Amino acid sequence: MKIAIPSLKSEDKPIFIASGFILVILSVGTVYTLSTQGTAPLLSPGYLLQQLQTGSFLGIVAAGMMVVILLGHIDLSVAWTMTAAAMMATTVGGDLAIPVGIAIGVGVGLVNGFGVAYLRVPSMIFTLGVDSVLRGLMVAHTGGFAPQDSATPLMRALASSKLMGIPSAIFVWLAVSLVIAIMLKRTAFGRQIYLTGNREMAAYLSGVRTRRVILASFVVSGVCAAMAGVMLAGYSARAFQGMGNAFLLPAIAAVVIGGTRILGGQGRYAGTLVGVILIVLLNSVLSIMQMPEAGRQVIYGSVIICMLLVYGRGNKVQS
Amino acid sequence: MTADRPIVQLSGVSKHFSGTRALENVDFACFSGAIHGILGENGAGKSTLIKIISGVLQPDSGELSVNGTRVSFANPTHAVASGIVCIFQELSLVPDLSVSDNISLASPPRRFGLIDKRAQRRCAEELLARIKCEDVDPNALVRELSLSRRQMVEIAKALGKDPKVLILDEATSALTSRDVGTVYELLADLKAQNVSSLFISHRMHEIEQLCDTLSVFRNGQHIETFAKGARTDREIVRLMIGREVDAQYPPKPAPKPRPEHLRIENLAWERQIKDVSLSIGKGEIVGLGGLDGQGQKELLLGLFGVLRGMQGRVTIAGRPCTPGSPAEAKQASLRIALVPEDRKTEGLMLAMSIADNLLAASYARVSDGIFINADKARQAVEDGIAKLRIKTGSADDPVATLSGGNQQKVVIAKWLMTDPDVILLNDPTRGIDVGTKQEIYRLMRDLADQGKTILLYSSDYAELIGCCDRVMVMYDGGIVASLSGDAITEEAIVAASLNVGGAVPHAVPGPSHA
Repeated sequence: MKIAIPSLKSEDKPIFIASGFILVILSVGTVYTLSTQGTAPLLSPGYLLQQLQTGSFLGIVAAGMMVVILLGHIDLSVAWTMTAAAMMATTVGGDLAIPVGIAIGVGVGLVNGFGVAYLRVPSMIFTLGVDSVLRGLMVAHTGGFAPQDSATPLMRALASSKLMGIPSAIFVWLAVSLVIAIMLKRTAFGRQIYLTGNREMAAYLSGVRTRRVILASFVVSGVCAAMAGVMLAGYSARAFQGMGNAFLLPAIAAVVIGGTRILGGQGRYAGTLVGVILIVLLNSVLSIMQMPEAGRQVIYGSVIICMLLVYGRGNKVQS
Repeated sequence: MTADRPIVQLSGVSKHFSGTRALENVDFACFSGAIHGILGENGAGKSTLIKIISGVLQPDSGELSVNGTRVSFANPTHAVASGIVCIFQELSLVPDLSVSDNISLASPPRRFGLIDKRAQRRCAEELLARIKCEDVDPNALVRELSLSRRQMVEIAKALGKDPKVLILDEATSALTSRDVGTVYELLADLKAQNVSSLFISHRMHEIEQLCDTLSVFRNGQHIETFAKGARTDREIVRLMIGREVDAQYPPKPAPKPRPEHLRIENLAWERQIKDVSLSIGKGEIVGLGGLDGQGQKELLLGLFGVLRGMQGRVTIAGRPCTPGSPAEAKQASLRIALVPEDRKTEGLMLAMSIADNLLAASYARVSDGIFINADKARQAVEDGIAKLRIKTGSADDPVATLSGGNQQKVVIAKWLMTDPDVILLNDPTRGIDVGTKQEIYRLMRDLADQGKTILLYSSDYAELIGCCDRVMVMYDGGIVASLSGDAITEEAIVAASLNVGGAVPHAVPGPSHA
């Protein structure tokens, strides 16, 4: 491939590759289980739905992360945004639990967006700092112990009940996906995210209010992380320290595997969706194979690096 | 002349950049111990010439010889090895390193393989003393120095490479008058040591004072070389102009009184804009002329709300116009549009589709509520493509696939979609083909006839003459000449650009040490 110009096709390529890789993971896993146990749990709808249910938390975080990455920025504060939202929601309890959790997300997003867009602090540093501040606040809030408050019934219902045999968390994930996809494709705000991510200077000189776009994008990311945190608390019936820690890197990985340019400006939401599914299935196949933790990490990391190397070919963008 | 053989000689050198010729069959020679001035308009090929001599660019055809032997430099390091050292227009210092680090950046003195800091410092002190910059601390960071001091460090760095031929490309433009004097003495010293200098400057009086030999370039061709004093100022100006007319311009309407639309009073910004006053009528095209970097770009950006801390008063149709950002400038009450200088970085998102680029400034116009109306958007894109006759396969193709001229049309169409009242254009025809240029000229006149107010900066004087009802020539941040009607001639513009015999006394900008 000598074509240096990105086209619609080059945007779709990662989605096809990642989808193909999902099939590879499923077949390798199935061959393994058939040969060792004689069953094929990976192909049963019940098992897959259960995997997607746990994957929906990651999916919601990744949806918000993608919006920020499209701008060429990154949000490293999602882990403790999740935890903070979950803890505050369980602390408040009652009907206000979920609104309070979401409000935490809005607040964190505003702070991140203000720091990045107006104070011009690099997002990598600023959001990392905010993450640390949130962790400190939560430790102070709980005194360092596991909080005793439990999730409200509505939170539990959203995360672990079933609707027509399908976990309701999947419906929430789908709803969030729909909103983000339509926003990116069909609203001025969404298109301005792409414009700004491609070349902030040209977007600014075209009369795009680039700072507001950046601010709003961080709010979207904060809200998504907060929603995921609230649901995760519902799933495990309570909030706990560090509950979001396992989500930061997989969320970034899912977005990038889905073909979103880490430098911003390019990417489709469908890709992020595929990226999340790939990561969830890869994790579950590795655990079915009873791979020791060390091996799991090595394989997991190698897969991400290899996929990015494959995408890198023929994708030399920009003069 | 001390040598009968030229130290640097070019024969039949040509260089093309994607279709446009930068140098065409140039023969040029420079002798030892000479101070050789090079003159020419913007884009005459001066920069390309020195880039070829100093190894930054390689000629497409022709030969370069140094001291009689044919050479081909693959990079500037080769050229330096042959004794050719260039001080470039854009500073090439690393701001976060110290002065002495910068001076010996390419080949620092070493002991046991490690950089010998003491020798490096001594070397820096000697070189700085040679250009009377003892006040510069070799250990200071370059970023802490004023622009003028930095330029002197740049000169010290070049001297450290022990040049046989020293090239100065606008090297005095940022210097204080004291430092300019020092550089003159230095060049005289070097001349005595039989080092030759190639001196490029837009300041006529400097060239006259310094150089023994002058060469005039025009349109990529070497026009003439002559000894100092062989030609008068007027003759030199005429040599720099006299080009073939390569574009057709739409006829200008007869001058008539027009209702004033845009009024600028005593505008000033930092050092770049100085007390500019200007009034433009409805349906009028006013050109900004002058050499590159005399404040034209800043003036346009300032009107568009990009610059902070502007002083002065701007009104549009009597209402104050103080946009704080381009987003405010394009709003219904002001309706200003700016076609920026560099379409690739300021005008377009190259990787995005033509449609997205066209709509970039107008999403609000094609949306119902928060959602984009797909029909309206498609209609607007089709209109834009049709109106400017953009040659494209599909509106979904990335804009990077278009030719330069069509890319520029996309930028213009993007702004016309906002239905602007005041259109600011920053060199809109730079680097595009003649056919597209003519379309843009016709479009500008059509827009003016529709009552738009147009302010055009162009580095091409012929364009200003062909398109504009009036031309303002800028020099050092201020307007030094206002020409209209038959008074708009190349001679008048070039003379005002160089500020020869101008009414405004020549001022050397002297940034103070921070």
